[in-house]
Amino acid sequence: MAKSAAEWNTPPKFPVTHFVDSRVYTDPAIFEDEKEKLFRPSWIIACHESELAAPYDYRLFHHPSGVPLIAVRGDDDKVRAFYNICPHRGNTILYDPSGNAKRMTCIFHQWSFDARGNCVDISRAEQGYQQRFCKEDASLREVKCETGYGGFVWVNLADDSPSLAEFIGGALDILQPYMQQPMEVFHYHKAHVRTNYKLWHDTNSEFYHDFLHYFNRITGMMQPGYFDRRYTGFPNGHATVGSMQIQYDKYEGSKDRAVGWPGLATGGWYMVDLFPGMTYNLRTSVLRIDTAVPLGPNEVLIEFRGLGLKSDSEEERRQRVFDHNMIWGPFGRNLHEDLLGVHGQGRAMREGTGSRWVIQGREENATIHDECGMRHFYAEWSRRMGRAAYDPYGEGRPEPVRVAA
Amino acid sequence: MTTLEQRRTIEELIYRSCLALDARDYKAFLGLCEDDFRYTISAYSPEIRRDMVWLDHDRKGMETLFTNLPRHNSDHSPITRHATVYTVEVDGNAANVVSALQVFRTALDGGATELFAVGRFHDAVRLNGAGVKLAHRTVRLDTRLLGYGYHVPF
Repeated sequence: MAKSAAEWNTPPKFPVTHFVDSRVYTDPAIFEDEKEKLFRPSWIIACHESELAAPYDYRLFHHPSGVPLIAVRGDDDKVRAFYNICPHRGNTILYDPSGNAKRMTCIFHQWSFDARGNCVDISRAEQGYQQRFCKEDASLREVKCETGYGGFVWVNLADDSPSLAEFIGGALDILQPYMQQPMEVFHYHKAHVRTNYKLWHDTNSEFYHDFLHYFNRITGMMQPGYFDRRYTGFPNGHATVGSMQIQYDKYEGSKDRAVGWPGLATGGWYMVDLFPGMTYNLRTSVLRIDTAVPLGPNEVLIEFRGLGLKSDSEEERRQRVFDHNMIWGPFGRNLHEDLLGVHGQGRAMREGTGSRWVIQGREENATIHDECGMRHFYAEWSRRMGRAAYDPYGEGRPEPVRVAA
Repeated sequence: MTTLEQRRTIEELIYRSCLALDARDYKAFLGLCEDDFRYTISAYSPEIRRDMVWLDHDRKGMETLFTNLPRHNSDHSPITRHATVYTVEVDGNAANVVSALQVFRTALDGGATELFAVGRFHDAVRLNGAGVKLAHRTVRLDTRLLGYGYHVPF
């Protein structure tokens, strides 16, 4: 029997850990709170070291909290990150998304900066500032920056944040054996979707949507052991999914896979979801990295990277590119389905649509169709936000009746 | 030297390829292609400063892709490919053709049309007597932001 308005607005018959108030996906005030409490103090992937191969190579990054950043390799080979904001009159310093700049010069008044963030030239400084202000007073704002976990360049806007290693904890241990060789980004594209960033991360955190990819995943779901893969939760909201071997040869168009990944079993697949919006996805011959950059409560830019090995031969790289595109490319069969899924959620969950709850209630002993990955995320979300995901405004939802698996 | 008749025939081939794909008549599209046809979508990323291949199939790969399309969940909004043939350079029985491409997507609900992508077709064409066929199509995209994407090649 269909529900009345009162029934629709009544919380689902689950423990409060097993559903989310859908206003956490639509409220502009909550979104602003997330930028400050979740993204600003978290370590976020800005780019990969292969995008900054030579001294003075730089890469721009729009930080999820809204801050425009420059990641640049110095003459000492160290990668540093700075606000892409001139300390003079607040102008943008660099415009091209990447490049090589021994001097980073603001076009407005030609103030110039080196790759260590020092101001090296102020045009007509003495005439205008006399002894009152000098280059030493005009350095760039540096933010914490570390390179690691597969050669990624991580940034953190909070000067007092824990180290990257403390933030990651053991969440990436499962992938470390496969990230010992230098890697290289061969694919990069963005998807702009009118949906909340958490809905994308949720999709990366649950496999029950295998049914969205029915034609892709039927080969997997038919295999013994598919449903035995387990989620493991880690501190700080991260979670991993153990591997299995996908029998790709059962899928027409995916046969003849000639290249794999060092140490990874043929058809192997690991996923690591990192709070608050990044995913490592190592599958068969390619490492895919998602970085969600929220632009508003119902608007996200997702950066997709595909990586191979730096040592790849031309043929090995060609095969990796092919494998990547087949599943994860902009015309790949999997990515479009996933993006359609969250696009649909975005349509249904805008303010005023009447959407009320999102159920995360499946319990299957933390195996692949259990929704504990999402529950783990929202436990951390609630802790950091200081508001419960099931009751974000403290309106008095039911007390927990049991603890999440 | 390209004759007007050759140019007219080649232009018609390019336009017919658009009409066939717009109509999702994949059999008709493949009928315009050689047995050793190859189809590639590529783009340059200024972010990573690399050329990227986004799709690369031989004829058999395209046949498989077309066969599998109905088995996937896809955006069903129709797209229309608007091509303008810029240059045709015939050399014996082969020709290189460069065309401007704009792809428009029309929403199923309400029918609003938006520009989806721009780029160029770089086609290698073979002339066999009175007929012409596509030997290799490279879709070189300028647009790299495709929203939630699309399953059907441009």
